[in-house]
Amino acid sequence: MYSLLLLNGGVGTRAGAGQPKQLVKVNGLPILVYSLVAADAVDDITQIVLNYPDGWRQQIEAIVSDYAIRTPVTYVRAGASRHESVRAMLDVATEQDVVIHETARPLVSSDDFRSLVASEHRNVSLMLEIPFTVAPVDPDERRVTGYLERSTLRNVQLPQKFSIADLRDAHAFAEREDRLFTEDATLVAVAGHDVRFVAGSDRNIKVTTPTDIKLATYLLTGGDENWND
Amino acid sequence: MTKTLLVTGASRGIGLETVRRFLQETSPDKGTVSRIVLVARDSQDYSDALAELEANNPREIELFTYRADVGDRDGLLELIDCIVEEVGNVDFLVNNAGYTNPVALQQVDFADFERTMSVNLYAPFTLVQELLRRGNHFDLIVNIASTAGITGRSGWLTYSASKAALINMSEVMREELAIYGTRVVCISPGRTATALRRVLAPTEDPTTIMQPGDVAAVIEMLASPVGKFVDSANLVVRR
Repeated sequence: MYSLLLLNGGVGTRAGAGQPKQLVKVNGLPILVYSLVAADAVDDITQIVLNYPDGWRQQIEAIVSDYAIRTPVTYVRAGASRHESVRAMLDVATEQDVVIHETARPLVSSDDFRSLVASEHRNVSLMLEIPFTVAPVDPDERRVTGYLERSTLRNVQLPQKFSIADLRDAHAFAEREDRLFTEDATLVAVAGHDVRFVAGSDRNIKVTTPTDIKLATYLLTGGDENWND
Repeated sequence: MTKTLLVTGASRGIGLETVRRFLQETSPDKGTVSRIVLVARDSQDYSDALAELEANNPREIELFTYRADVGDRDGLLELIDCIVEEVGNVDFLVNNAGYTNPVALQQVDFADFERTMSVNLYAPFTLVQELLRRGNHFDLIVNIASTAGITGRSGWLTYSASKAALINMSEVMREELAIYGTRVVCISPGRTATALRRVLAPTEDPTTIMQPGDVAAVIEMLASPVGKFVDSANLVVRR
């Protein structure tokens, strides 16, 4: 069984019209509804740990209540960094394994969660092949510094799953080493634990900008399938 | 897996015919409804209908019968509590109950307009919203609107407006409930030989127009496996 750590606490407002990005609407629904409803239908997820930006707990709780989310939800105030947020959420997780997802990815499906949970490995991330070339650079000098073989690189997606012991150990490692990671799969791997990946989907986009909202709406309403019907 | 069907306005017309069809012998392409919840106002018609349904129930479908006025919001909320407790999940919901008192604009009594909106629009909304808030997962919601909701009819202002709103609300429901995999279909029957039609067109010969059973057959089709191939926000059914 799994505790879902549903990251919902970022305070960035790039896509938001004067409100936290968690409450940004995609096709008219608050963006966090999509992940909540998809996870709620997954039997192996027995707890949802949901964080919230300071001052917004009431609004977030109202959405959970209005959508009759049946899985028990534990609320945690968002930390100042992603590391801090995940650590605080780990403290209240009740299962021995966790799934990490972020509400900014509304196209996640219940089956995405189910196939992740079904993996035989304990530390697993959805990842995508990179269909374009990336280059290592020195941004200050604006100089290209080498070559990266894209067949050995992956676009890291969420959801991911981890043994709670490995994830705790990895966060302690980052704190000890004073290193910042932007997501947990690479963190857990660099901390010395075995992390695997399964194929993600290019539909599972992260909604960050107003254009992303339009694209997500197009995908959610079947625009990609029906345009030539 | 057995499914539960809830029909409002089940005492006569399209509602009663819908229940009748689901009671009859099943075939592989029919749905798997084994429990039917009937809601209607108390009336002799309703009592007679229930007696007839119980006497003609070859598949021994479990019938849950409630006497309630869906236009009375407080009563409707109490009814929903009872249904959740006594029946559990509603898989197929047919919002069929309708009301009309057709009069010209200058003659509209505002309270009667509100009554029309309560039965034809707010009741379907409340049933869906309150059941969702109680954790209900619908497979299919069928809202019965009217062709009078597509084009306004002189003398039917309140009815036409309420059905236009129902057609529009169904489109929104269809979009919003897609996250659950719920199908929402609005049916707009043309002239159908019902008690409500007699109020709208008292001089019409009911044998010359579409029968309630014809609309019920369409509802049955929507609830059957083939129904998922019907992709229409507002399905016009007319003779």
